[in-house]
Amino acid sequence: MSHEAVENFECFGGRCSVRVADPDREAAAAAARTGRRTLLEAHRTLSRFDPASELARLNRDPRPVVPASPLLRQVVAAALTAGLRSGGLVDATLVDEIEAAGYAETRDFAPAGADREASTGRPGGPSPRAGWCALVVDEGACTVARPPGVRIDPGGIAKGLLADLVGEALADFDRFAVDCCGDLRIGGAAGHARTVLVADPGDGAPLEELRIADGAVATSGITRRAWIDADGRAAHQILDPASGLPAFTGIVQVTALAPTGLLAEIAAKAALLAGPDGAEAFLPHGGVIVEKGGAVRVVEPLACVPTAGVSA
Amino acid sequence: MDPIEKRELKRKAWLRLAAQRRRAGFLRGRVVAVSMICFAVLWTAVFLQMETGNDPVLASKPKRVVARVEPNRRREPEVTVKTPAEVEAAEAPVEEVTPEAEVAETEAPVEEVAPEVEAVEPEVEEVAPEAEFVEEPLVTSQS
Repeated sequence: MSHEAVENFECFGGRCSVRVADPDREAAAAAARTGRRTLLEAHRTLSRFDPASELARLNRDPRPVVPASPLLRQVVAAALTAGLRSGGLVDATLVDEIEAAGYAETRDFAPAGADREASTGRPGGPSPRAGWCALVVDEGACTVARPPGVRIDPGGIAKGLLADLVGEALADFDRFAVDCCGDLRIGGAAGHARTVLVADPGDGAPLEELRIADGAVATSGITRRAWIDADGRAAHQILDPASGLPAFTGIVQVTALAPTGLLAEIAAKAALLAGPDGAEAFLPHGGVIVEKGGAVRVVEPLACVPTAGVSA
Repeated sequence: MDPIEKRELKRKAWLRLAAQRRRAGFLRGRVVAVSMICFAVLWTAVFLQMETGNDPVLASKPKRVVARVEPNRRREPEVTVKTPAEVEAAEAPVEEVTPEAEVAETEAPVEEVAPEVEAVEPEVEEVAPEAEFVEEPLVTSQS
């Protein structure tokens, strides 16, 4: 009989969990503990707010080419993938802009009314600077290259990637689920579908129900990590790369389904930035869009994409 | 040899040559047809196997996983479910399992497993098994 080992812990600035179900209880519990340790170590490596983290050291390093650990190289490669797949909408090099917006260090968030922001509702666009294009990963030399001054903030990209990495290690168990602050990677050898509830961007109540046997889901929105900036305007962490300012595209939250956590995270953020008219193009595996007025749109997966086991 | 006889011999020779060429043509055609039929049959067989999801290359990977993972999993129900005498009898061979025996066990068809399952069911009720754990739904929210 399967037993699910669960590890809940604080990581990446939110709640994470690793769940492993298997008839071999000890192995499942050990795997869940290992998953927790992996995520916590990754957090120490990739925290933008910890000056001792490898990412912070990379961002301070004046050299154009810097030796980097395998995890940091994977994260930088994922940032490059995000830029390429989203046409520059998901840009992990907007550190100056996010700091200027008021998110320079760990901070408390309060409901800022970002969803009611009466801004233009204009879709986002790629940054003219396109710092992500300058990222280079050399696996042979174990280095990362970028022009000095270009800083990296992987944000949700790292969460999606880490959910994938831990999920890969758990693939032989009957069932597993890795939750990195709402970015979920689900799978297992038994192929059982699992229920995933999409939280309402306002009160967190269940909005939609998804069933996923093997795949990932990620949610990106403008209401959770939101605050009032120095000028008294609503601000949040999702920036429009074109302007460098918090994006108000007419979409409040997007939940994306994809085969991997990284792709789900990229799809969710790109769809949010693309605005109501362009969002569906970034959701080939399906998803849920919540617009500014509260309208909820469920996007069905395209028939031609390999969506076995993933359904909305 | 008069010209008429010579022409007749020439005609017969031409007829023989034509017949030979015709036979060669038939043979060539048959060889081509048989080859094409064989190719089509083989291609169809492979196509059907792949289409039904039975790619032998892909099938070999799960087998390896099963061989590595299943033995531990199977021992657990045997110990909890069988009578003490059966358990004693079963424990000795389990310790002496050779690699070949393990492979045979993992590759054993479903029929071998079925009798064990049938024998197990009544005792499982007596043991009062633990309640099946209920998966609590996961929640995806803004990260």
